[in-house]
Amino acid sequence: MLQSIRDRAQGWIAWVIVILISVPFALWGIQSYLGISGETVTATVNGIEITERDLDRRVQQTRMELRERLGAAYDPAAFATADLRRMVREEMIREVLLVEVAQRLGLRVSDQELKLRILSEPAFQHDGRFDNEAFQRLLQLQGLSERQFVEQLRQQLTGTQLIRAVVASEFATQRELEQFQRLSAQQREIDYARFAAADYLSDEPVADEAVDAYYQEHAERFRSPEQVKLDYVVLDVAELAEEIEIDDAALRQAYASEQARFVTPEQRRVRHLLVALPQQADDEQVAAAEAEITALRERILAGESFAELATAHSDDPGSAGEGGALGLIEPGMMDPVFDEAVFALPEGELSEPVRTRFGFHLVEVEAVRPSETQPFEAVREQLHEEQARAQAESLYYDLGERLATLAYERPDSLEPVVEELGLVQRQSDWIGREGGEGLLAEPGVLSAAFSEEVLIEGNNSELIEPDRERLRAVVVRVRDHRESAQRPLEDVREDIVTALRQQRAEAAALAAAETALAQVRDGEADWAEAMTGATLESVGLVGRGAALPDAVLDLAFTLPAPQSDAPELEAAALADGDAVVVRLTRVEDGEVTVSEGATSIPEAGLLAELAGRELYDTVLADIERRAEITREPLPEASDVD
Amino acid sequence: MSYQTDEEKAEAIKKWWRDNGVAVIAGLALGLVIIFGWRYWTDYRNDLAAQASTHFEQMLYSAEDTDAATVLAKQSEQLDADFGATPYAALGALIAAKGLYQAGDAEAAIARLERVVDDAPDAALARLAALRLARVQLAEGALDAAESTIAAHDDSPEFSADFAAVRGDLAAARGDLATARDAYQTAIEGGAALSQLIQLKLDNLPSAG
Repeated sequence: MLQSIRDRAQGWIAWVIVILISVPFALWGIQSYLGISGETVTATVNGIEITERDLDRRVQQTRMELRERLGAAYDPAAFATADLRRMVREEMIREVLLVEVAQRLGLRVSDQELKLRILSEPAFQHDGRFDNEAFQRLLQLQGLSERQFVEQLRQQLTGTQLIRAVVASEFATQRELEQFQRLSAQQREIDYARFAAADYLSDEPVADEAVDAYYQEHAERFRSPEQVKLDYVVLDVAELAEEIEIDDAALRQAYASEQARFVTPEQRRVRHLLVALPQQADDEQVAAAEAEITALRERILAGESFAELATAHSDDPGSAGEGGALGLIEPGMMDPVFDEAVFALPEGELSEPVRTRFGFHLVEVEAVRPSETQPFEAVREQLHEEQARAQAESLYYDLGERLATLAYERPDSLEPVVEELGLVQRQSDWIGREGGEGLLAEPGVLSAAFSEEVLIEGNNSELIEPDRERLRAVVVRVRDHRESAQRPLEDVREDIVTALRQQRAEAAALAAAETALAQVRDGEADWAEAMTGATLESVGLVGRGAALPDAVLDLAFTLPAPQSDAPELEAAALADGDAVVVRLTRVEDGEVTVSEGATSIPEAGLLAELAGRELYDTVLADIERRAEITREPLPEASDVD
Repeated sequence: MSYQTDEEKAEAIKKWWRDNGVAVIAGLALGLVIIFGWRYWTDYRNDLAAQASTHFEQMLYSAEDTDAATVLAKQSEQLDADFGATPYAALGALIAAKGLYQAGDAEAAIARLERVVDDAPDAALARLAALRLARVQLAEGALDAAESTIAAHDDSPEFSADFAAVRGDLAAARGDLATARDAYQTAIEGGAALSQLIQLKLDNLPSAG
């Protein structure tokens, strides 16, 4: 029996079994090498996959960044999820592409370079030095191992090498710079005649058909906007503080316990003379210095001037020039030994030699300004304000919490809030999506007022704090709502007639300008003659930035340069409805300061930088076109926050 | 196969080893050589690229100084000589071309740019270099050379607007205003770099009359 198994075990059946068993072992884990992750993929760039999960994470990150950057102005509705996802995905595709290209080209940032970057990154520093703990902490925060982080950084830096190479190597040629100087600083000599539309206004009746047609054509303009009337309660720390009264007893107590804040300490005007000693002076040096300072003291006592001796002999470079004067000092500003001597010394008397770690001093107090205490009455107001504010803040947090709870638990009315918290219910007039005044102009408040929860369901909004720093909160509910509606023709007839008359006047002004222009061009009349009825504006030589109506400036710099003596003319309508005829008489090119062979003018760097950045985008776009990129369709409007 | 005795088995194994031993050892050795050789080769290439990268970073650093043309030229040549197989040689040549041109040596700059055009690691970089080459040639008055540079490399939709801008400059230099106007317009519509400046040039062309 056993023998037969043994014999068979060497036959082909055994081999088949072994092979079958070994297949799962051989392939175990292979998917991690082949990149088959089993996750949903949203895009593929040259074979590298971007997973749905990575995209989700980045979208969330982007949202957080937007919220941080925009603060109170952040309105989630302005960044529809679908659009944001698309944008973020494009960004990721470019990033992955850049990494892939860098790898394919064989770009690689060296380890030293990486080390240098990490060591000099401010986020990893503490007191201006690289701090390994801070580094590790930040890594942990991002959920990265050190190795992963270094690899990520390497990819990033490698990617930037390409952009830096392209941007840093861009330059403007000499010819281009010359042309830039000639054109950008070019000046043109013009004058113009203005045909005011107001001069062509008439009371002539406007046909009903014309009014009708205008009304149909501009139907959108004659819609009233969607509006709401709001009921709201405001919790404002400033208002709360105003209500709070604090009696004098409490204020006096605060005054007493914070006495130090209201005391200006004693100050003394001091001059000194220093005979310096090194940190580790030996006995001999000390003796010599002591002898010197004693001698100087004798000389002052004998009547010589302190100031002159200090100027001549003091080793304190800061004060020697001032005759030893140190100015006003307070206790605690100087070396303790020095302090003690100064504040023990009577005014006008010369001290004994004082030994500090700097050496030997002679000190004289020139004047004493005694300690001053501000009386209670002087700071009463300030104290009251502080105390009231502090109480108001804790009241604010307390009320805020209860307000939020009440508004949520009783969503159909603000009355409980008014009754229980003693807040005032306020009412707004009609406001549209563009907002009202004050608090009602805050984007957060408006998006709440027009949200489904508040507008459609008729509930209270949650507690909205438009600006956290300001400690101000509001709950709104909609009292009245009107849809956007077409205003009837009769209501707007007057407006339309006025608009049509204005149009007619503007057309007439332009026609007059064009007739005058034709007269000058054909030589039927000279400039002044043809332009009677218009206001003549003589401008002279102007640059591109001149303060002229846009249409005039535009014509001035787009008309061809006049040949010989014949000026160039053109007519145009201005934004305000008037018409003009512009006359260009001379073109003067900007001064060229680029000398032969030199290409450094201040603008050169700027031009190169600008062009470099644009060309880098072009380079990337070119690479992107040749890359194999597949994008899975994104869900259109699944707005889940 | 079946064996009569253990001696015969041992004998068979020995015989097999005599026949095939050399081949097995040679195969193992070859395998090891390939594995380690491959690892050595990738390490070597990474190392080379990293070194070249350091050199290149140095070049970027010296390029901030406008008088560094000679230094840049030397660094670029060194990159060429020692790291010619890495992409950094081409990137370095781009940087050197700028330095050389700004120092007044247009001829050397043209030579560097031509090197990148011929030998760029990616077609987009070759086009970028060709664009700059055409502009330098134009500035040096070599209009025909500029024209043939453009003709040879204007083959990508992304770069066509920028090449059109140079074509406009070229036509304007030759006094062919109608062509210049068309080219500038194409450049602006295609979103060429510094479009506003191109608009100024377009507005400033004398009227056709």
